Amino acid sequence: MLRKTIRTTLLGLAALSLAALPALAAGAVGETAPGFKLKGVDGKTYSLADFKGKTVVLEWVNPNCPFSDRHAREKTMSELHKQYGEVVWLGINSTNPDHRDFLKPAEHAAYNQKNGVNYPVLYDETGTVGHAYDAKTTPHMFIIGADGKIAYNGAIDDDPPGRKAKAERVNYVGGGLNAEKAGKNPTPSATKPYGCSVKY
Amino acid sequence: MNALKTTSLAAAALATALFAPAPVRGMESEWSKNPQSQVRLLTPWVVAPRSGELILGLEFRLAPGWHVYWKNSGDAGFPPAVTFQPEAILGKPELLWPQPSRFELPGGLVALGYEDQVVYPVLATIRPGSILPPAPEDGNAAGEPVRITADLDYLVCEVDCIPYRYTLTVDQKVGFPTLTDPETAPLLEQWLARLPKALSDVPGVKVSTLLDMGRTPPDFEVRLVGVEEQPGKTGLFLESHEALDAGRPQVRSFPGGVVFHVPMKPRDASKPLPDKLEIGWTATNLSKEGRSFDLAVRHAVQVAQKETGPVPGKAAEASPRRLARLLLWAFLGGLLLNLTPTVLGLFVGEALALKGTAAGVREGAAAAATGIVGACWAVAGLTIAASREGTPAGWGAQLQEPALGALLAVVSALLALNLWGLVEAPLAPAGSVRTGTGRHLLAGVFTVPLALAWPVPLLQEPVGYAFGRGPATVCALYSVIGFGLALPYLLFILAPRVARGLPEPGPWLPRLREGLGFLAGAGTFWLLYSLSRQVSPEGLAWIELSLLGLALAAWLRAREGAGRTLRLALVLGLAACGAAALWMADLNRLVPRPSVSNPGLPPVLPARPAPAEPNPNQTSGG
Repeated sequence: MLRKTIRTTLLGLAALSLAALPALAAGAVGETAPGFKLKGVDGKTYSLADFKGKTVVLEWVNPNCPFSDRHAREKTMSELHKQYGEVVWLGINSTNPDHRDFLKPAEHAAYNQKNGVNYPVLYDETGTVGHAYDAKTTPHMFIIGADGKIAYNGAIDDDPPGRKAKAERVNYVGGGLNAEKAGKNPTPSATKPYGCSVKY
Repeated sequence: MNALKTTSLAAAALATALFAPAPVRGMESEWSKNPQSQVRLLTPWVVAPRSGELILGLEFRLAPGWHVYWKNSGDAGFPPAVTFQPEAILGKPELLWPQPSRFELPGGLVALGYEDQVVYPVLATIRPGSILPPAPEDGNAAGEPVRITADLDYLVCEVDCIPYRYTLTVDQKVGFPTLTDPETAPLLEQWLARLPKALSDVPGVKVSTLLDMGRTPPDFEVRLVGVEEQPGKTGLFLESHEALDAGRPQVRSFPGGVVFHVPMKPRDASKPLPDKLEIGWTATNLSKEGRSFDLAVRHAVQVAQKETGPVPGKAAEASPRRLARLLLWAFLGGLLLNLTPTVLGLFVGEALALKGTAAGVREGAAAAATGIVGACWAVAGLTIAASREGTPAGWGAQLQEPALGALLAVVSALLALNLWGLVEAPLAPAGSVRTGTGRHLLAGVFTVPLALAWPVPLLQEPVGYAFGRGPATVCALYSVIGFGLALPYLLFILAPRVARGLPEPGPWLPRLREGLGFLAGAGTFWLLYSLSRQVSPEGLAWIELSLLGLALAAWLRAREGAGRTLRLALVLGLAACGAAALWMADLNRLVPRPSVSNPGLPPVLPARPAPAEPNPNQTSGG
């Protein structure tokens, strides 16, 4: 009698353990990118929802910040944008209109043209979108995967002071876009962004 | 180390005052100036020693409102980046970081750094033999000076940020006798004194940390026991971390210590954090015996994972392989636990008892295996419940709870006493030839708490992963560990002949069991050692005394000829001693109870930190 009970219990426990195994296989995902609808320097309105199913790069910009400006002059972003033509690239300027760094559309457009910034740059004057993404610096980069989830969050590269030659820098966004293209997760998927603080 | 530097600098300064023949021009580079800041490289030595530590200084003077950064710049900016030459002599010098300040920026952002003036001490080590000794005709004079250059990139911020790049140069004489600079040495000494201390420099201060991912937002807790808060001054600064973003630290005092809570945000929500995460932090303006100091610690922090339901997604793609690996590790970890002294002691005793079991080897072994796996499920259930109450989860995390640690110590002491023939449970007395199935079941159940006492590294990742996935996963994983732990018994079920092949019991059997008792004793000592970090020295002494009392009661009771009443009294004494060990552990705990289950502690964690108000009185910039 006891024999049987023991045997049944042991088998039962084994079966129970097997049944619980699938729970181990579950994975987690990145957060869904917050949606937005913002007016561009060009006067048009852009919505994240317009780019559903596409990979989107968000770049927080401020032409009056030496870091943002350096990357504009070095064409870090515009060349990457050109290289990954199928990727949607959006600059977002969350500078408070009362801040002296704020540029009016005409000035901003002239700056963009001068530096070859040929992707849309959007105004986020209230800082709502910046806070929704917790954007901290200019530049602060995000890659949104085709699934609408944030795939990368952080710095543009590994060289905050801009000491290295461009070719020697590890460009995290470039690497991340390659990974996205190959259907993989960017590695690293997050870094500490550097630059000036966003002038909320 | 800092104390040493300060002392040697002071001694050198004294020597200078006594023997310096005439005022000597200070050893520092020219100021590199811009409208916002000026910076220079300085050395405390007119004539520096030929080898050993060389402390340099990087001094900034800043225009009002402008700041440079600490090693974690905060939400924006970056700390000074500097490379020194010649590398062949200096190696790679390290910048040291005096106590920083916190600057509020618009939009609730924060910068960490320095305003007005800062001297970053720079720790270089002159490589032995890298500087040639002077020719004999040099006499007391120094040899050729070494040209030290610093290529510096830094960012100075107010409202705007401006990056600057300079090369700073100092010609450093080296030789004997050494001579300090009366101007720069005291300045550097003053800033060396502002460096935080290491934990080993402040005896009597205990630190416990936990990163609790189960809270919303996730919470990083730093508990310091043996220090006092300086109201309005005590603060915490976290070093930057690739996986985590830190919010504003909150500080509270409790009797005997200070606790900080920092809301944290994982930068990547799709990846579960490992069970241990290296985090560096500096607690500032602590007070001990009336003296103020800062404390810098960098260590592996226990991560309590968030329990989440299964979510299908991208990250799951890579998981089948990881899952297979983690399962294998859990199983091997369980198997490995059989080699720990207490489990091994019990197993050997049990294997020998199996031979003489009335119901046959198979049934005995099945009973033991059932006991083990069943107890693993029970432990899984208890651990899930405990983690909901705020107790850290993870294999071996039990040892962080003093009362549980004491309970495990009592359990392994009981096993030792059992093997020495002083207590009957869980194994049959050495002399008995026939044992029942129930006793084997009990031995199996008893194995699990013994195994819990050993934090096998192999199990850390699987258990942490399971706690990140939810209760069902925890149960599944603990049962895999259980099957690993029960594998020797399962082998007995498959091949009972193995057990029958064991040597016949003889006079050697009691000797062997007594010997195994020492293994169990070793387990008790290990647990007492673990407890030494959780309870005060007095508490530990009381626990040890209780265990001694336990042994004494067991010994007296096992003696033949004692009366029935006395034997009963001794059983009660045994129980009382066990309970006393637990009580003493709880009473003398160094680590306060999890705040959830202890309403007596002040509510250390606000539901959500208040949104930061930009403070117009404070520097804003970045």
